[in-house]
Amino acid sequence: MNNTQTKNQFIAVATITSELSAVVVIAKEISLAAANAKAIAFRAGDKAKGFQPITDFIGDLAKETIERVAAINELAIVLYKVTVNEFRVAVSYNKFDEVTKISRSAMYADSMQKPLDKTKIIMQDYNRQFKRDVTLLLGQLEAVMHHAQTARVIATYSRIEASQAGEYLQSLQAVAESVDKAAYTIHENVQSCIMALAPFSK
Amino acid sequence: MKSTKIYEGSHLWIMFGRDENKPDNIIDSNQYMVRTKSHCLLLDPGGAEMFAAMMAAVLHYAPVEQITDLFASHQDPDVISSLGLWDQALTNAKLYAPAIWEGYLRHFGCESIKYMPIPDKGGTIKLDSVELQLIPAHYLHSSGNFHVYDPQAKILMSGDIGAALDAAGSPMFVDNFDAHTEKMRYFHQRWMPSNQAKNDWIGRVRKLDINILAPQHGRMFRGDDVKRFLDWFENLQVGIVV
Repeated sequence: MNNTQTKNQFIAVATITSELSAVVVIAKEISLAAANAKAIAFRAGDKAKGFQPITDFIGDLAKETIERVAAINELAIVLYKVTVNEFRVAVSYNKFDEVTKISRSAMYADSMQKPLDKTKIIMQDYNRQFKRDVTLLLGQLEAVMHHAQTARVIATYSRIEASQAGEYLQSLQAVAESVDKAAYTIHENVQSCIMALAPFSK
Repeated sequence: MKSTKIYEGSHLWIMFGRDENKPDNIIDSNQYMVRTKSHCLLLDPGGAEMFAAMMAAVLHYAPVEQITDLFASHQDPDVISSLGLWDQALTNAKLYAPAIWEGYLRHFGCESIKYMPIPDKGGTIKLDSVELQLIPAHYLHSSGNFHVYDPQAKILMSGDIGAALDAAGSPMFVDNFDAHTEKMRYFHQRWMPSNQAKNDWIGRVRKLDINILAPQHGRMFRGDDVKRFLDWFENLQVGIVV
């Protein structure tokens, strides 16, 4: 593990933590928009009949996104700890390697081989664990992205339904717009996370 | 890193220091080793920057598996920030360090090494048939601080007391005490906070039979220079900034 790799791992983990906290805020906004839309649709009665089940669906989607992001954050914390441990062991390995190089003439130089081999194995284990956790995390992120794509499709349906809601058209279209915009932002943020992590899954 | 045998009897005392490859902007430090038949104690083993040079120097005297004990006089980084590295390298080792610094020192990494907290009143370290005394030196300069006295070798490892800010590559022992005091004055006046603690320590140390006073920085004192140092230190006002 060299310095650039370590730095990139720390940056990737920091990126996903930061992007995901923004996703939670947006998902909460969608949830609020869904509740708002539900109230409007209730007032609109038959005029917004097709809109009512859509609001429930959007609300559920937002809730599920928040839950999934919480799970991803827990995984991100694990990933951070693995990165810290891997970094520590890598520092030790590099120092031990330096010791073996500068102590060749020492009577007990050979005794350094065991700690050197041990730290190499630990370092490789952490590296494998990091890759495994990244693959898990990418799977979870793909699911959130899929939710965001679904939300955008629903926003399109919502616009169609809103067009039949008479005097409620503007209010419901505004809700559909805000859902679409929020879903787009989530999609972009999650895409950033995936791009930050992708190089480490290979 | 240079190494110097300072005692050779039933066991060995070795001083390590004056590392020519040390970065210029970190303070030079003296590390000590007590080597018995099957054990090896490193006293103030040094900062993380010094680890490779220190370990390489130690391997001339002992294999890794016989480095069984570490001692940290206090919590400073030049004393023990290498702890995390020793922790990865050693198996079944113990660290003797002030009890009050345990929670702090563990920040350096201390998972496999067993922390042996030294109570304020002091204690002992046993290495085969050698028994070393842990002498309280609180507030000199750290609030939890110990020195190591070996009654057989008559050596007192005195941490920051007796330390000097000396030129790189300076000799291992003081050869002109009067000239040397100027290299120690500011260090002791600025780093040591308490005249009361200083006098308490001097009273305790005067009762010990000491051939060599071995500080963590600068030159060691031997023979009559040990008494000269205690007299000089007794007359020095410390804690001068306030």
